[in-house]
Parts: sequence; C-alpha cells; structure tokens
Amino acid sequence: MEPRGLPRLLMHLANGLVILFIMLPIVAVVLGSLQPEKTLQGESRRVIPSEWTFDNFRVILTQGEQKGRIFEQATYLPDNIKSFYRAFANSLIVALGVTLLTVGFGALSAYTVARLKLHWALWLMQANVVARFLPAIVLMIPLYVMVRSLGQLNTLHAVILTETGFLLPYSVVILVPFFANIPADLEDAARIDGCTHFQAFWRIILPLSAPGLAACAVIMFIISWHELLIPLILNSRPEFMTLPVIVASLVGDVHVFFNLLMAICLLSLLPTVILVALLQRYVVEGLSAGAVKG
Amino acid sequence: MAGKHHARGARELSAPALGVVMNLPMISLLLLVLAYPVVYAGYLSLHQVGIAQLRRGVFPWNNWENYTRLFDDPLFALALKNTILFTVLVVVVEVILAIGIALLLNQASLWTSRLARLLILIPYGVPPITNGLIWSFLYSFQFGFLNRILFSLGLINDPVNWAGNPDTALYAVAVAYIWRTLPFAVLIIHAALQGIPRELLEAATVDGANAWQRFRAITLPLLTPVIVVILILRTSFAFAVFEEILAITQGGPGDASFVAAWYTYKLTFSPPNNIGMGAASAYVLALLVGLFAIAYVRLIYRRIA
Repeated sequence: MEPRGLPRLLMHLANGLVILFIMLPIVAVVLGSLQPEKTLQGESRRVIPSEWTFDNFRVILTQGEQKGRIFEQATYLPDNIKSFYRAFANSLIVALGVTLLTVGFGALSAYTVARLKLHWALWLMQANVVARFLPAIVLMIPLYVMVRSLGQLNTLHAVILTETGFLLPYSVVILVPFFANIPADLEDAARIDGCTHFQAFWRIILPLSAPGLAACAVIMFIISWHELLIPLILNSRPEFMTLPVIVASLVGDVHVFFNLLMAICLLSLLPTVILVALLQRYVVEGLSAGAVKG
Repeated sequence: MAGKHHARGARELSAPALGVVMNLPMISLLLLVLAYPVVYAGYLSLHQVGIAQLRRGVFPWNNWENYTRLFDDPLFALALKNTILFTVLVVVVEVILAIGIALLLNQASLWTSRLARLLILIPYGVPPITNGLIWSFLYSFQFGFLNRILFSLGLINDPVNWAGNPDTALYAVAVAYIWRTLPFAVLIIHAALQGIPRELLEAATVDGANAWQRFRAITLPLLTPVIVVILILRTSFAFAVFEEILAITQGGPGDASFVAAWYTYKLTFSPPNNIGMGAASAYVLALLVGLFAIAYVRLIYRRIA
C-alpha cells in the first residue's frame, strides 16, 4: 500500500514539519553557542549571525583560563562555569555508579520475578510498577531531612544511593520481559545437568539476556545523567554538583548571556544524545519492554 | 563447566529462599529510599518543620495546620489548577501527535519518513533542564530564536513575548515539555504498529475500505491498549513537571505558571523553608499521582491474567 500522488506529497510535507520541529531547538542551541554576545544582542532579528566564534566553548573548557577575544572585557564569570570538568566527572561517577547498581540489583530481582514462579513475585512486580510513579519531589523532602540528619549532604554516595533506589523499580520492569522470553527448556536442561537456580541465572539467563541488560543499562545511564532534583537538593557545594545542577544554577544569572548558556547546554546534552544515536536499537527495545510488556 | 557440578539438593537453596536472598539488595534499598521516606513525609506533613526545628531535631505536632493552611492558600489552588490544565493539554496533544507521527514513520517507502525515524529519538537524549534552558532562548522576548525566525520570514513586525505573557506562559512550557517527551510516545505506538498484521489491512483494502476506514476499524482498536498505557504514564509524569518550569518561567510571570511540583519546591527549599507544609503539599500531589498508578497496574495485570 504505497501512497501515490497527492497523499504522498502531503506525507512528505508532514514529515518535513516533524523534522523541523525536532531540529528547531537543536539548531537554536548550535547557532546560539557559536556566536559572540555582540551579534546575539546587536543583530536580534537575524537567524544567521555575521560573526562566528568558538570562544564560548574555549572559556568553559579552559575553566575561564583562556577567555578568548569576546570575553576580554568580561570581569565576571560564574564560578560554576569554571567547575565544568568537576561537574562532568561528578555526573559520570554518579551515572556509572547508578547504572551498575540498578542493572546489578535489578537483574537479581528480575530473575526471581520472571523465573522462580513465586507467589509473592507478582506482588513485588506490582509494587515496582507503582513505585515508578512516585514523583521525585515527594520523596526529596523526607530524604533531604534524613540525609541531613545523617550528615551526608554534599556527598556523591548519597546521590548515587538515592538515584539507585528511585530507578531500581524501573530497571526491574525493563528486565523482567527479557528474562521471561528466554525459553524454559534451556534452563530446565541446565537444571537436569545439576546447575543450581543461581548457576542457571549466572551462566544461562544473564549471557542470553545481554541485549536486555545493555538496553536497561543505556536507559539507566541516560536517566541518571539527566537527573536534576536529587543532586540539586542534596548537594549545594560546587565541588559536588553534577552537570544538570550547574546548568540550573545559571538560570536567572543576569551576567550570563545566551551565547555562553547555549554553549554549556550543548556540552551537557552531547553525551546522552550521542549515546541515544549510537545505541538507538537498545534504547527502543528497552523503552518498549519497560512500557508495555511489563 | 564439566566437573564443577554440584549434586542436586546438596548446597542448593529452595526457590523461595533464593528469591528472598536475591531480592535483599532491592528490598532493603526500596525500604530505605522509597518506603520509609513516604511514611516519614506523612509524619513531617503533620508537624511543624522549619530550619529552626531541623537544627534542634524536634518537630512539634501542629494539629493539621500544614493541611489547613495549604487548602486556604489561593496559590496552591492556582498551582493545582495549572497542573491539571498543563497535564490535560500535554497528554491530549501528545497522544494525537504521536499516533499521527507513528503512522507517518511507518511509511518505509518515503525517504522523509526514514529520515524522521532516524531523528525522532534525539529529544530523549536531551536533559530536561537543558531542554528548558534552550527553550528559554527560543522564547526570549528581546533576543529569542523564535522571534528571529519570524522576523526573517517577515511574519511579525514586533517581537512576541512567548513565555513572559501570563496568558501564554504555561502553553510555552507545554510545547517545550511535549518536544522532550514526544519521542517516547511515538516509539511505543510505532512498535505497536509493527505488530499489526499486514494481511489484515490488505484484506480490508480489497474489501474496498479507504485509509480512514482502515484506521478506524483496524489500526485504532489494536492501538488502544498502548494508547491507554501512554495516557496513564504521561499523565502521572506531567503532573510532576519541574525542570522546564524552573528554566523557562520559574512559575511566572507573577504566579501565572505555578504548578504543584514548583509550589512544593519553593515552599520547602527557599526561605522561609516551610518543610512541614511542603511535605503536606507533596502528599496531595502523591495521592493524585497514586490514583493513576493504581489504575495503570490494574489495567496491565488484568491483561496478563
């Protein structure tokens, strides 16, 4: 049923609109970050600037050491822009830690739900699905009071543990369908050969679910890289901020203009956008497994 | 593997015992980070908790005052009203767009469809707070990217104040939010479309059904379960919208775009830090979202059972 004639033309047109909508903010952030404040302010009715520069990235990536031509006159730069590398490293530590813990603990739990035929497993699964809906802001108030009274504000491990707790239910929801899809014969054969349940999990289910584990890991990494509220509320000292917290701290800073803002926006979105582009297949599989097959 | 086999039963845990052991990390973490905080938030919401009380570590009972003050606060009522308006708008627009776009992307013979399918997932990779900040550049009154485009095309003579106008601020945030969250909905519907047997649609064509009739009689009914899933998921997540509000309007101009999560955040984490009342407001939000969560679980498990 290939569309022909007018319908085909209209579909091309509709696709064009979809592509324009998707690309609009991407084009804006790229164009905004590649021009000096002068053209952004002076040519406020032009899309394509008359002058281009990499100075916005230079000043961020050299932590304010090399200001470049367009920042020569600038006497003030927010400290948070200067701690870009620190924030990047913090984001990476948190995201990797959260990914490791959610996939690891999630796989252990998902195996019991998918393969052990326990009567309380379904109940556990339902609790997971409900837990996924809890808005972060609801839990952040008690967690702030708890973490504060334990003296663990401004640490990375409190952020990692909190995010892991938030994301674990979702990782189980994603992994269960992958584990459940592995034919029972394989595990039964291993059991007859003398494997314990745990050995069957370790040697058969896990290796055969590698694509599912990868899909889950990518999604956990992305969500954790994006998380704002948890590190924003738990960590207020610059040396423990993650990238989204740095970005949020620039909102409303009247001394930072859009050229610098868009440069830091572009740097903060690149890692996960590249990940999505490279691992599209896994992202798609994971998201659909977690949404409908649960 | 040979030679390492254990005799059955010698060292093996029973399935229920193994189930408990393998769930230990998960259950203990959930108790610590989800279950206990939910109960503790309830406790906080019934007591007077501010910075002074935090320092002393004593939270006096205050006789439901957090809740009575909350329901007397016109700003809370406005925040709830805005949250509901925002959610309904986002969910309706997103589901309609997602169905249309998923059908478009399914046209494998069009090169534009293949290109759009390649690009559709990009927004999923953009951090929410970054997304908000990029849209604040798009919407900026004096220097915004949207106004630049409209000026260049000769469509406007004066700049439009997209996010700074109390009548349009909430809608401006909604567009930014839809941009970021649309890929998920498109993806799920697109995956469901792949599962519709081609023969079914071809048979209907042979019987003389036109495209609209095929959509109404075959595609839409088969998509319904997935659409309901998206409706519930998106409703509960849009209820807690936070990052885009923070980056684009901060609840403004005035109070025009205050939503429930922003109200709760401001109440709790900016001076005078009324943590007890913030917890009460969060509890109301959780209760509303909880209703959707229960609907979702019942729906999904009814299908399995």
